Amino acid sequence: METYESIRVWKELNIANFLDDIVSLNDFHDQVMLKVLEVASKKIGASPAPCDFSWFITGSGGRLEQSLISDQDHGIAYEIANDENDLYFKVLGTEISYGLYEVGYPYCEGKVMSSNPLWCKSNIDWDTQLAFWVDDESWESIRYLQIFYDARVLYGNVEFIQRLKTYVHEYQLQHPILLSRFTANVEYVKNVIGPVGQLLVERQGLYKGCVNLKYAGFLPYVNAIRLLSIKEGIVDTSTLDRMAHLNRIKEYEGILKDTERNFKDLLVFRLSLSQVESYADTHYLQVEKLTKTEQKDIKRIIKGGIKLHREVIAMMKKGGPNGI
Amino acid sequence: MEDVMYLMNSLWTMIAAILVIFMIGGFILLEAGSTRMKNAGHVAGKTIFTFGLASMVFWAVGYGFIFGGDANFFVGMTDFFYSGEIMEGAGLATTVFFVFQLAFAGIAVTIALGGFAERAKLSAYVIFTILFGIIVYPVIAHWVWGGGWLAEHGKQDFAGSTVVHLTGAMAALAATIILKPRIGKFNKDGSANNLAGHNQVYTALGVLILWVGWFGFNAGSTVSVDAAFFGYVALNTTLAAGAGAVAATLISWVVLGKSDIPTILNGALAGLVAITASCAFVDVWASVVIGLIAGVLVFYSARFFEKRKVDDPIYALSVHGAAGVWGTLSTGFFATPELASVGKPGLFYGGGWDQLGVQLMGVVSCGLFAFVVSYAILFIMKKVMGGIRVTEEEELMGLDMSEHGNYGYPEQMILEESKSLN
Repeated sequence: METYESIRVWKELNIANFLDDIVSLNDFHDQVMLKVLEVASKKIGASPAPCDFSWFITGSGGRLEQSLISDQDHGIAYEIANDENDLYFKVLGTEISYGLYEVGYPYCEGKVMSSNPLWCKSNIDWDTQLAFWVDDESWESIRYLQIFYDARVLYGNVEFIQRLKTYVHEYQLQHPILLSRFTANVEYVKNVIGPVGQLLVERQGLYKGCVNLKYAGFLPYVNAIRLLSIKEGIVDTSTLDRMAHLNRIKEYEGILKDTERNFKDLLVFRLSLSQVESYADTHYLQVEKLTKTEQKDIKRIIKGGIKLHREVIAMMKKGGPNGI
Repeated sequence: MEDVMYLMNSLWTMIAAILVIFMIGGFILLEAGSTRMKNAGHVAGKTIFTFGLASMVFWAVGYGFIFGGDANFFVGMTDFFYSGEIMEGAGLATTVFFVFQLAFAGIAVTIALGGFAERAKLSAYVIFTILFGIIVYPVIAHWVWGGGWLAEHGKQDFAGSTVVHLTGAMAALAATIILKPRIGKFNKDGSANNLAGHNQVYTALGVLILWVGWFGFNAGSTVSVDAAFFGYVALNTTLAAGAGAVAATLISWVVLGKSDIPTILNGALAGLVAITASCAFVDVWASVVIGLIAGVLVFYSARFFEKRKVDDPIYALSVHGAAGVWGTLSTGFFATPELASVGKPGLFYGGGWDQLGVQLMGVVSCGLFAFVVSYAILFIMKKVMGGIRVTEEEELMGLDMSEHGNYGYPEQMILEESKSLN
């Protein structure tokens, strides 16, 4: 495949074959994105790259949780900083973002993309960036660190990213305040369970009658499990893999009960949303169209996520210096 | 003739009650204008809600605790769930007196909740309004106005510099300490940033509404038209407000090089708060002096709290606290023998140190009680409710969205959101 257009056609023809299994679907997305990288590299010329580098994806892609349509979240770390390399990767990053867009991955609203200098840096600049983020403690910096922690290398040197994650883990061990800042950063949960246990759906607009699966379903699980992973220094990025590691730690036995099953069910629920036309569509579940059993299931999953999230936050605060 | 007096007293006090209730509108504009756009709808809505809730609490227990019979050291124990019964032989209708007092309780809690601004959960407002209305405000109001121990000592607090303003401010202080500063207020090195309010015109209109409402607050506290004394009280009130505004303008001009608008507005309010205790007890010239001192005091008080890293978005501590203390003490200096219908004349009128001592005792005991009990309430609430502050993410998105699901300025905020994304 030589053009973005041909990748897009190939993707659209084949993606339906992977819709019943989240692992193979994500594997397929990986292949598509790697092809985009290949075409992008060729398009800008000067292949091979002037130095060793790593191209990573983060967000749902990093966590292997992409559904049919997913926005792009990615970045680049390259070995040697000099003017020539800086320019090369800047151009490559911009081309990749454009290519992914052409193939059907919408631009990231938060600009977590290789085209953004914040996410395209030499190793030495990444060191400085991470050092700034861990020390800065602002809401934005901590949010960036959480995004970074979900980074998974799709192409190139895995070591570049691993090293930076280890740095975050070790810094956190020496500065417990960082863990409490991580905790505060993900404390918010969109509440969709009403006072009498009913599901609170969107009241108006395009998604009237829907429940927001991203904020109410996924994020409580993803954020809680990421927090525990940062604390324990688990480098895997998939939430299910992280759970598998955490399940081996006795301390978490109680809180993690049923979590894996709930989360797997949630992934299945989202995959069932195959009639989607935009990235936003993949977040919304029409409640009225569900059967009684499905409604009961989704409530169980959402409540399970909220409970897990609450317990993890409480556990972190107990150990942390400044709870409110 | 007696009938006419009864009706006139009732009518005047009813008008005053309406003016005091209208002050809630002043507080809405004051607080909304002094805070950021993303919290404006929340400020407006919660103020109406908490006034409603405070009214329920006052009807159920507040009134009985303050004015009821069979009193113990802290509160009275009759007249709960007031039935509307008219007391025989009173100078005005009991129903009118009840509504007038209810308005005061509502103002006190509104001041207290000012300390919650821009960061507390809505559920914290609900619980604190109830508990403040049961165990903080009624105790102090009973001590001073309901025949309690401070009343027996002859404490002078005509319309509530202590009872309403200092009590509210002490609860606000406890809240600001427990809630901690808003995100971005202080830098790591302790220096403060200016999280400017979004509409100074709102704040100024809020002050004007409060100024007008204060005629109900102070002049209405005569609860009588006898000898048209309310006119004298109103005269003192408005002069103190004017003097406060002038003094605050000048002091900020001299110290900062430019006159600071929030300080001007706070100066007027500080003058009003200070004269609240003394408006019926002092000469006209003294009310000007009291207002001038309050205007200067509020400027330095706001700087003091900021330096101590206490984040007080709407200056509740300086306007109601510092000026409330000064107002209460001021009668100890300026109360005249002719006007001191309660207590004794002040230091400057040959009354010696007695009255000043009583005033000081009142300030310390009421201030301490309000602070300690409010702090304890909030501390327990924090433990039981899993925190009383919204999460960082909610604070950044604004309480309009996090607590209510709608912006006070929908078009503007959606525009801001899209700007920040692109």
